[in-house]
Amino acid sequence: MSNNLPTVSIDHINKSFGDFTAVSDLSLAVYPGRVYGLLGPNGAGKTTTIRMIVNITAPDSGRIEVFGRQITAELQDRIGYLPEERGLYRKMKVGDQLKFFAALKNIDGREAGQRVDRWLARLKLTEWKNRKSSELSKGMQQKVQFITAIIHEPDLLILDEPFSGLDPVNVEILKEIILEQRAAGKTIILSTHQMELAEKICDDICLINNSRKVLEGSIREVKRAFSRNAVALRLEGGDDVLANRSLVSKIERHSDGVEVLLAAGTDAQALLQRLIAAGAKIERFEMIEPSLNNIFIEKVSEAE
Amino acid sequence: MKKFFAVVKREYVQRVRSRMFILITVLGPVVISFFGVAPALIFSIKAGGPIRIAVVDQTGKLYQSVYESVVDNAGTPKSTSEQMNANALNKNANERFQQIGEQQEGSFELEEVRPEGRSLDQIKRALDQRVLAKELDGYLILPANLLQDGKPEYFGRNTGDVFTRKFLQEALSRAVRQQRLAEAHIDARIVQELSQPVQLDGMRVSAGGGGVRDSGEGFALVFGAGFIMYLTILMYGQMILGAVIEEKETRIAEILFSSVKPFTLMMGKLVGVSLVALTQLAIWGLAFAAFAVYGAGVLAARGVPLHIPNVPLVNFVYFGLFFLLGYFIYSTIYALIGSMVTTAQEGGQLSMPVVLLPLIGFYLFLPVSRSPDSSFAFWVSMFPFFSPMTMLTRIVTQTPPLWQIVLSLLLGFGTVALLTWSAARIYRVGMLMAGKKATIPEVMRWVRQA
Repeated sequence: MSNNLPTVSIDHINKSFGDFTAVSDLSLAVYPGRVYGLLGPNGAGKTTTIRMIVNITAPDSGRIEVFGRQITAELQDRIGYLPEERGLYRKMKVGDQLKFFAALKNIDGREAGQRVDRWLARLKLTEWKNRKSSELSKGMQQKVQFITAIIHEPDLLILDEPFSGLDPVNVEILKEIILEQRAAGKTIILSTHQMELAEKICDDICLINNSRKVLEGSIREVKRAFSRNAVALRLEGGDDVLANRSLVSKIERHSDGVEVLLAAGTDAQALLQRLIAAGAKIERFEMIEPSLNNIFIEKVSEAE
Repeated sequence: MKKFFAVVKREYVQRVRSRMFILITVLGPVVISFFGVAPALIFSIKAGGPIRIAVVDQTGKLYQSVYESVVDNAGTPKSTSEQMNANALNKNANERFQQIGEQQEGSFELEEVRPEGRSLDQIKRALDQRVLAKELDGYLILPANLLQDGKPEYFGRNTGDVFTRKFLQEALSRAVRQQRLAEAHIDARIVQELSQPVQLDGMRVSAGGGGVRDSGEGFALVFGAGFIMYLTILMYGQMILGAVIEEKETRIAEILFSSVKPFTLMMGKLVGVSLVALTQLAIWGLAFAAFAVYGAGVLAARGVPLHIPNVPLVNFVYFGLFFLLGYFIYSTIYALIGSMVTTAQEGGQLSMPVVLLPLIGFYLFLPVSRSPDSSFAFWVSMFPFFSPMTMLTRIVTQTPPLWQIVLSLLLGFGTVALLTWSAARIYRVGMLMAGKKATIPEVMRWVRQA
């Protein structure tokens, strides 16, 4: 990990709403120049955590520091936030709307106008500048909202499910911008369900389940810790062997073969021998790191 | 401050630019004047021809007086002098309704029916026939002892027409009175001269000695200010409610709260919408003023003397201040409601009772103006929800000591700040609880913790 001071450090925070515990005893640290993935199933407490970071709600106990200080209204100007609940003023023109949000982050006048034009061009929305947002498609609205989060060039960018509802082309554009921000030394916190994307973009991840942190670390570390026994296969036959619970604990079929997790006490060599003995025709047999998706599912179902 | 102005600007520009705003600004006066004029127009419609009435005069000498009394007076309202004295503003709706009804009693056609040997029953039967055949609208029977204590009777197809009945009753009274006077050998003209009513001039005792003529302009102004206040609250309160709910319905609140303090946001919305209100009222006010100046010019050119209201200048300052107070108190209540609910519909339901509050203040105008110095008047003029109207009434009728006026203003604007502050807190917590309607204890908790 980086030697810099963390941009966000959360120290044993708790938050509950009435009887419902949203976040319990959560600690984490997010460093500049990295993309931090906040992962977890629905209702795990991701959004509540994010709201506490951006100072919309306060934790019941514990401490949150952003940029090395207790969060204040002034520090909010250095944070860009794309909430999961999307919304724009329906009857307001896209350009005016973006300028308004920029002004709320203390960017106004000509500077704001130039930035709006630049970002609209970047996200291929220039011709929509004078249209009302109610005329935009959902994907376009989402891009407009992304601009509101980034227009003031925040040092900390928090994106809650930024990719949901976007087509692959726009996902690429967004990914590019996120990685660009990281290269510029900004800090990015990303909350998502889309594990494939998280796997490609995030440097560090934190998995939250039932209000608690269940896993944290860099993607490398996490994967290495789980890489003991995953095998990718492409084969014909041998189904009986794969169905044997004493050899394979979990099987996942793709259009292009299968991925299996070996049962405890078995190794890949043994599986290969059994498959050959069973007469299976093997095209591919490869030791792999488990996908984040598998780790996610395993960790979450473990807890239940 | 920059953020505050950004919020104000957005609220203002978005609304003023909207087609709805332009439409209401242009059509508002038209609609209002329509509702002002329409009732009079409708009442003045004379449906059907004159009312035909037959008179069976058993006294044998009253018909001529009755005829004069009914036909000559029809169309001209009775006792004109009384009406001119009555301040138009003091008239309640009922009186006004009657007046309009009386003006409508257009024409009557009377015919005398002589007994010619028939019995009363026979006459009645014959007249009943004619009424049913629609040759007549009704008939009057004047008993022989009418001049003593007899009671006349009216038989008509439409006895529900209270105006006609009342008019006939008055006309008969006049005729009977005249006849009685004549029989007592008293000249009716002298009686009329002798019973001329007096006119009472109201003079206000001022410190400078001597009375200042107060012919009720102050009242008229308080009444007008109250009326405009009420209309403004009704019109723009809903707008504020909508403005506060807007971000909840569109789910923008979360972004806003990550950038602006809820109090700044709430204040910005209040001020923004108020500026919209001010713009609209100013446009209407200027148009009205231009109209009035033009009208005054025309009248002056024709030599009609103009009467300039006799109201101390400082009262206009008070009007301004208390108008603002009244407006802001009720707008913050609307904002508070907006912060508690999640949809405009819910907000509309909850705001129903709020509409009634200023109305109470409006009616308090009467008891307070009767005894502006009472402790009742003092307390209601300190109570923020009623003080705009009641304090203004006291200022006009019997100006209270300055400290009371200042205290009333301080209490009022303090309430505004407190309400805005609470609304901002409820707004923030309520937004995060989206989708769930809040109970009162919950709301109280939000205000404390937030």
